[in-house]
Amino acid sequence: MEIRKLLFVTKFEDLCYDALNSLLALRGAALEHVVFLNVIERDKVAMKRGSGYLKEEEVKLKETANIRFIDWAENLFEMGLEVGAYMEVSSLIPEILRVVDKESPDLIVIGRSHKGPLEQLYAGSDVMELIRRTDVPVMVFKHMRGDNIVPEKLFERPLFATNWSKTGQKTIEYIKGLKDIIGEIHIMHVVKESALKSKDTHEVQKVRKAERKKLDALCDDLGDAGINARPHVYVGDPQKEIEKAAKEYQVSMIILGSTEKAALLERWTGSISKNIADKSIFPCLLIPGKKDI
Amino acid sequence: MSKKVLVVDDDPDVRSFVVTVLEENQYIPLVAQDGVEGLEMIEKEHPDLVILDVLMPRGSGIRLYRKLRTDENLNHIPIIMFTGIALRSFLKSQKALDEFKGGEVPKPDIYLEKPVEPEELAAAVKKKIG
Repeated sequence: MEIRKLLFVTKFEDLCYDALNSLLALRGAALEHVVFLNVIERDKVAMKRGSGYLKEEEVKLKETANIRFIDWAENLFEMGLEVGAYMEVSSLIPEILRVVDKESPDLIVIGRSHKGPLEQLYAGSDVMELIRRTDVPVMVFKHMRGDNIVPEKLFERPLFATNWSKTGQKTIEYIKGLKDIIGEIHIMHVVKESALKSKDTHEVQKVRKAERKKLDALCDDLGDAGINARPHVYVGDPQKEIEKAAKEYQVSMIILGSTEKAALLERWTGSISKNIADKSIFPCLLIPGKKDI
Repeated sequence: MSKKVLVVDDDPDVRSFVVTVLEENQYIPLVAQDGVEGLEMIEKEHPDLVILDVLMPRGSGIRLYRKLRTDENLNHIPIIMFTGIALRSFLKSQKALDEFKGGEVPKPDIYLEKPVEPEELAAAVKKKIG
């Protein structure tokens, strides 16, 4: 699957032109159209006692966004890309879904969720709500270091953590569509400690060997598609091990198939993809699986 | 007989401004809010002139402009580009697309950068279709 159209959701404070710029490597894959979306939260223009609906504030916020988008759009137009823009007063996720419906993008790019832990517990994370309600892959963009520098080559060295699910298979097909811009991909599988029948060395090595064989086959498959891939088997807590591997191999982003857990269960127990999307220092590309709401 | 002018712009305030200028100058205004709707209107209504924005959702003005300039059934329709995007950037985009897609699409005759005074817009329309 190729990424021809990208939806870039920004509040300006989290995702700016530098982030967009680092995604433009996708032009080498197939990218030809970028759609900007700025959602102005309702409470910024909401009815206030004594002043009513803040229409002037809405106009001001939309114009500010428009000026910013025009500046970005000029740069993209000059590269020969198509550009569209939406500025709406609305709620974030319903508005993203409305624009997805109109534009049919191949990738949604969004900043990490700014909700606090308690708010996430009751209302859920924006990112995971989006993943649950769309079939479109979502990139959660991060500035990787404290100095807010964006990764220059986002697709140069990704890490794909597979759990051998159907979603993982869908993710592999998506990765193949990026073959022209991926330098080298690291493919890992984390064996949970609970999955090891016994702790003796022989048993552990047996499991490692079996998983490594599966990873080798996957790497060969990707190699046939023109992507250089390196396999890794880790043992332990998946979230921690994925983060560890990402640091060890200095990857440019983490690619995950999103879980198929029911929404409420996920909210209370968490999921690997949710936790990594929200907490990892690395940008994350999440490929949604079958809906299970 | 009054001539039909199609305004393609996603901003309702801009559409309203252009419609007012057109009505005051005895043209028949038609409106579309994005490139896709704009093309549908052109094929249905056969306007005498199109006033076209560039930065729009659902098919930008760039795509519609190139369609109108390269489709032999539509390339007789004059276009006024009316946008916040600088002419310099527009021309660079055309050059990049010409190189990428092959061929050369002609430059627009009239390119107005927003905002403009009503008189300037009316004069541009008159210059193109009388």
